[in-house]
Amino acid sequence: MLPPEVTLTECSKRFGERLALRKANLTIAAGETIVLLGPNGAGKSTLLRLAAGLLRPTAGSARINGVDATSAPRNLRAGMAYAGHRSQLYRGLTARENLELHARLHGQPDIDVLALLEQAGLGDRAEERIDGFSRGMLQRLALVRATAHHPVLLLLDEPASGLDADGRALLDQTLRAGLGIRTQVIASHDHDLPTRLAVRTIRLAAGSIA
Amino acid sequence: MIAAALSIARVKFVLEIRRREVIFAMLLFIAATIVIVHFALSGDAGAGNRAAAGMLWAAVVFTAVLGLQRTFAAEQEEGALDALLLAPIDRAAIWIGAALAQFGFLIVVQLVAVPIWWLLFFQNGGPSLPTVLIALVLADLGIALVGTLAAALALGARTRDVLLPVLVLPLVIPIVLAGVTATYGAFGEEVGGLRPLGFLALYDLVFVALAWGTSEHLLGD
Repeated sequence: MLPPEVTLTECSKRFGERLALRKANLTIAAGETIVLLGPNGAGKSTLLRLAAGLLRPTAGSARINGVDATSAPRNLRAGMAYAGHRSQLYRGLTARENLELHARLHGQPDIDVLALLEQAGLGDRAEERIDGFSRGMLQRLALVRATAHHPVLLLLDEPASGLDADGRALLDQTLRAGLGIRTQVIASHDHDLPTRLAVRTIRLAAGSIA
Repeated sequence: MIAAALSIARVKFVLEIRRREVIFAMLLFIAATIVIVHFALSGDAGAGNRAAAGMLWAAVVFTAVLGLQRTFAAEQEEGALDALLLAPIDRAAIWIGAALAQFGFLIVVQLVAVPIWWLLFFQNGGPSLPTVLIALVLADLGIALVGTLAAALALGARTRDVLLPVLVLPLVIPIVLAGVTATYGAFGEEVGGLRPLGFLALYDLVFVALAWGTSEHLLGD
């Protein structure tokens, strides 16, 4: 599967009275990695959720390979991954069970989830329910879940929050491995990240792309 | 799609076995309702079979609403619904999986509640048990289908705890009417027969078709 192009055209999103994103125009080329920088409330998370098709624009459009993101067909969704502020995991399941569910829903039940957990430094916690996990452990598990099915479009919202040094190394390694191979959009407060990855930066402020 | 729906339903059962959040509350509620109504009616010899049939179905519906309030609770804790929406599955599978889980919860609750109802109200012989059980299974399916659809509708609302009963209760009135008719008819005092059971089956089919067609739009933003 080839990495897709993501295009936002005059894309706005309003939540009640608040305009979270204002007429955003952005094209992320196939295989490109960009980092979204901006203060809290700048619109980074909204932009990512629009690109993932989890929000419907109030005006304008968000498209993946020319297809409306909110109605992306199953074959397009098969290559997508989004990790947001929350882990998107079931708190009452173990780490292994969460990854196995993800693998089954992606039609890849043969994924070696224990190897993935080892890689994330969670091998010895595989059989523990994640409601006992720390924020950093949940973040690692969320990152592993997001990349388990080898997506060609990876959307990450502040993936480094709560991560320790090893977790950050895992994140950097994951992002580097995806350079040129998949389209990656990362919302971050880490101003060094674009330099470390040598990728384009998009700055947002008060819902607008600067 | 069936495999995805079964996976989702299985997760919900595993979570319920571990946390005992939904079924335990439903069991307490329905058992308490049956016992309280039994004592409330104990002095009224004229209340009889019709009251017993009516109270069973009222208890079933209100207990179901209690369970439906938690339909997508596990998916909302850590945003797991986003992961389901982005998975390459038919979005109807999310609704069917949740409905299957609700259906299972109702069946488990009624395995305890129906014997209590029977013991309290029918020491000297009651209605035809197979008819009542078939009516309950068909009604449970309908309530689970409609209730999960309403839970999906109410998902984004701030007042979903209030909104859900407002959406569900009018939609399940036909189920209650058919259920009471089937149960009362099963006493042999009135012609009940297959007509209310047929109606319940038809109701289930209509809502399967309706929800199948709308789940893509209901779930998500």
